[in-house]
Amino acid sequence: MALDIKEVKDPAPTVPAAPAAGTLKLCEARDVSHFFTPPNGKTVQALDNINLTIQPREVVTLLGPSGCGKSTLLRIMAGLIQPTKGQVFYHDQPLKGLNTGVSIVFQSFALFPWMTVTENIQTALQAYGVPPAEIEEKVQKSIQMVGLAGFEETYPRELSGGMQQRVGIARALSVDPEILFMDEPFCHVDALTAESLRAEVIDIWAAHDKNPSSILMVSHDIAEVVYMSDRIIVLGANPGHVVKIVENKLPRPRDYRSPDFTKLVELLHEIITGHEIPDVPEPQLAPNELPSAEALPEALPSEIVGILEYLDAREGKEDVFRIAAETDREFGAVIQVVKAAELLDFVDTPKRMVVLTPEGQRFVKATSQERQNIWREQLLKLRLFKQVYEMMLKHPRKKLDTDLAQEIIIFNLPSENYGKIFETFTQWAQFGNLFAYDEETQKLFFPRKRAYKPRPKTNGKTEGPGDSAGSAALGEPSVPPATSPESSAPTPPEQSVAAPPKPDEPSKN
Amino acid sequence: MEMKNLLGGGPLPFKKVWGNATALLSRYQKAWWIDVILLLGLVGLIFGMANVAREWTGVHRPKIDIDLSLWALPKYTFFSLCRGLLAYLISLVFTLVYAYWAAKDPVAEKVLIPLLDILQSIPVLTFMPPLVLALVYFFPTSNVGLELAAVIMMFTGQVWNMTFSLYQSLRTVPHHLEEAATVYRFNWFQKATKLELPFAAIGLVWNSMMSMAGGWFFLTVNEAFQLGDKDFRLPGLGSYMSVAVANGDWKAQVGAVVAMTLMIVALDQFLWRPLVVWAQKFRVEEGSAEDFMHSWFLDFLRRSQIFQLLEKLFHRKPAVAAPAAPAPAAPRPLGTLGFRLARGLSLVFFLALVAGLLYGAWKLLELFRQVDLPHLGLILGEAAATLGRVLAAVAVSALWTIPVGLWIGLSPRLSRIAQPIVQIVASFPAPMLFPIVLMVMKATGVALAWGSIFLMILGTQWYILFNVVAGAMAIPSDLRESAKMFHITGWRLFRKVLLPGIFPFLVTGMITAAGNAWNTSIVSEYVTDKGGQVLMTFGLGAQITDATNKADYPMLVASTVVMAFLVVSFNRLFWKRLYRLAEEKYALGK
Repeated sequence: MALDIKEVKDPAPTVPAAPAAGTLKLCEARDVSHFFTPPNGKTVQALDNINLTIQPREVVTLLGPSGCGKSTLLRIMAGLIQPTKGQVFYHDQPLKGLNTGVSIVFQSFALFPWMTVTENIQTALQAYGVPPAEIEEKVQKSIQMVGLAGFEETYPRELSGGMQQRVGIARALSVDPEILFMDEPFCHVDALTAESLRAEVIDIWAAHDKNPSSILMVSHDIAEVVYMSDRIIVLGANPGHVVKIVENKLPRPRDYRSPDFTKLVELLHEIITGHEIPDVPEPQLAPNELPSAEALPEALPSEIVGILEYLDAREGKEDVFRIAAETDREFGAVIQVVKAAELLDFVDTPKRMVVLTPEGQRFVKATSQERQNIWREQLLKLRLFKQVYEMMLKHPRKKLDTDLAQEIIIFNLPSENYGKIFETFTQWAQFGNLFAYDEETQKLFFPRKRAYKPRPKTNGKTEGPGDSAGSAALGEPSVPPATSPESSAPTPPEQSVAAPPKPDEPSKN
Repeated sequence: MEMKNLLGGGPLPFKKVWGNATALLSRYQKAWWIDVILLLGLVGLIFGMANVAREWTGVHRPKIDIDLSLWALPKYTFFSLCRGLLAYLISLVFTLVYAYWAAKDPVAEKVLIPLLDILQSIPVLTFMPPLVLALVYFFPTSNVGLELAAVIMMFTGQVWNMTFSLYQSLRTVPHHLEEAATVYRFNWFQKATKLELPFAAIGLVWNSMMSMAGGWFFLTVNEAFQLGDKDFRLPGLGSYMSVAVANGDWKAQVGAVVAMTLMIVALDQFLWRPLVVWAQKFRVEEGSAEDFMHSWFLDFLRRSQIFQLLEKLFHRKPAVAAPAAPAPAAPRPLGTLGFRLARGLSLVFFLALVAGLLYGAWKLLELFRQVDLPHLGLILGEAAATLGRVLAAVAVSALWTIPVGLWIGLSPRLSRIAQPIVQIVASFPAPMLFPIVLMVMKATGVALAWGSIFLMILGTQWYILFNVVAGAMAIPSDLRESAKMFHITGWRLFRKVLLPGIFPFLVTGMITAAGNAWNTSIVSEYVTDKGGQVLMTFGLGAQITDATNKADYPMLVASTVVMAFLVVSFNRLFWKRLYRLAEEKYALGK
């Protein structure tokens, strides 16, 4: 298949890029699955059996929480990554190497910092093999198109994020792609500028006689997706799969306030919550029944406490997307925190609402010392924590190698990334002062004394062995360990080697 | 700076009033005298090069006489400078090839990088006998062989640093830029020139600076050496110095030191500084520590018309200048012919390299076998002695440079003044100062066994100072402010805040210093004094120099292998671990 550039080289400036035929497929992903192996971990499935078609003259968006593989899918369709299974077609030809009709606008702009605006675009055109005589004109045209006139000789570092992304868009458009790929293009652009860029991109796309014929965009911003696209592919995570495809027939230009617009946004909210935090009641367990262990959602204890405080200040309930909007967080991340709070039984999630449970209310009202105790109690209701706790009690020196703890995680959750879960595990455990963790010896152990801490929000930075107000805190968790005949209190004397305060506590991430 | 270029030097109003008829006017606004100076410089350079060429192709004399008059110094300095620059060019070419090969071919990488580690640890002197003998054999009638040998020995003092730096940079090109280059279909040449080399530029320039200093280090040895009963000597600053020492000519010795200093300052001002400032253009992140650096010479050049013309030629019209590569319109998936060809070529070279290495190792082993056990024991004992000296040198250097470096680095004003000076002082080849130290040692009655530690310190301390200053400058001001707020002062401040703050830098400095100290041992444990009188002490360095001079190749090989082994294993077992600790625990990252 000849590259489109060939056609573009013709003196006639406007080549009709897309024939009128509506059924034509520009680009298609067929049964695409993808696995990857991080440097020190086990193979993870990123995408599971994805089918996706891009037709002429449409804007398609991939919507999903972070980690659902939407950027990976975009890169596979661009030919940057070879899928493990399945195939990508461009104009019905199986893709070999790069997709010739595509250029990409990157989330991080990916501009060469040592080149001026002009040089950045020029270089792309040169590499594309555009004849030197035409380069100057094309550079000028694309600079004009995105409103960069006057900034030709400026270096990217001297520009704001929004202006940098304009350069990114200009560069992508300069090579005249049939399909423009955009990977969360407005993520690092301030909100107002993003607004104008969205409108401008749609205007450029709407000019029917010119490329790009279609746009494939990755986003996690629901309003943005509804504003821009004709078709919305909702993706779910672990592994990435298509949850639903929503057609968006709203007339352009679109109005954020129109009832139809809000209705579509609502619909997407329903789809996402229905998939991410389903209302299907989890099978309630009899007290002594062994449930399968729960994967710990990636959420910091401080975030979980934060969401509880947030709810408490709003009469105990709020819409999950409202929370995302108000806290300016990606909805996927907020959902993770909500799921974590739900796992600890602090909140309930009827539909899209997040509601404080009595347990959650008790937690919010408690003093910081009581909070730690409640937290610990809740942790020990979870199978993973309970198992590690019991293992540790059995150990003569009340210590546990992290390897062993990780093995427990792998055994319980074979399909998860144990490294990440272990990280969350230690963060939660330290926050409840259930276990301490010594990074140097790689061992988990019981804290020497459950010392009073001024504020639990900044997690386990114990200021040495606090010997003042510790005694009351020695209280055992209310769920007694099932098998621990010999040990009464998990504080053996040789625990004097409490980890010294280290400059790098796990609160980094 | 950029603005100045944009406007072509002249004030704007003129352009508006006179339109295109400003050619005459603007010529006078530009400093025409700069061009005159540049042209004069060019003529001088051509004259000098002609002189060098005559020297090189001249009839080979086994032993030339060095003219010790001060008037001869400029000529000798120029000769040495030419050797250094030529060696640098070779280093650059080697670096490009080697680093690219290692970075792009994962199979070759597994051999090339450890090999580099080993090569780096081999003292320059060991390369000498085979090099000199081979090259003199190939050019029996002219000086080319000997000159090349000297140049290549300088090259071995320069190159490793640069190669490591480029390799490191090539491996850490930001992923998103790499992706963009792929999406926009850069071919390998475009990728190299538009992405990889620009990204590597800053590191390469700084390391080039350091490498050049490393090249000067053995100047006195490289230009005048004995091999068995043969005495090889080339006209240059190094041989001038060694003859001056042998003759006990104090005036000439001081003259040589001054000439060396001037050459280093000149190189710094006319070459490295402009390069460093120019390389700022390639920085990826905002606001680096070098922001305030200026180069008067670069500004000066930018005002010259010749330079502007050149810049226009090379810079302004890349679109027109590079029509040579309009080919890659077609999709070029991985696995095309060119790619396979490159891979095949790489494999052939790799196999050849491995074969060469094996052959070399076998030959070495043959030589090694000729060393009997008592001699081996002797070498090991000497190795222990030198190891002790190296550690002592590093420790003593650290002891004085940490407080001084903190003092300089914590004061912005002081560091601005001191840093360039330290850079120049660090570039000065310490062996040239040995005669003076030797005199002091003789006067105070210090034995060379201890004195050689001091000689080592003379060369290595700067690396630590350098890094401590940089580390102190990098301690965030909010950390220092919070220390102040909590009344953390004195020893506690040092222990709890400053030392951890500079720790990664300190370790880097100590690693460089230790490597350098090993290398220095070959000149500090074996010193030639007045009248060619040799002072040597018990140590591995002395053994290597002695074996070279006596042309005792089995001993030379054995002691070199032991030294390389010690250096590499010490790096692996000790320094690398310390470095990891520094990176993990004490990194003040964002």
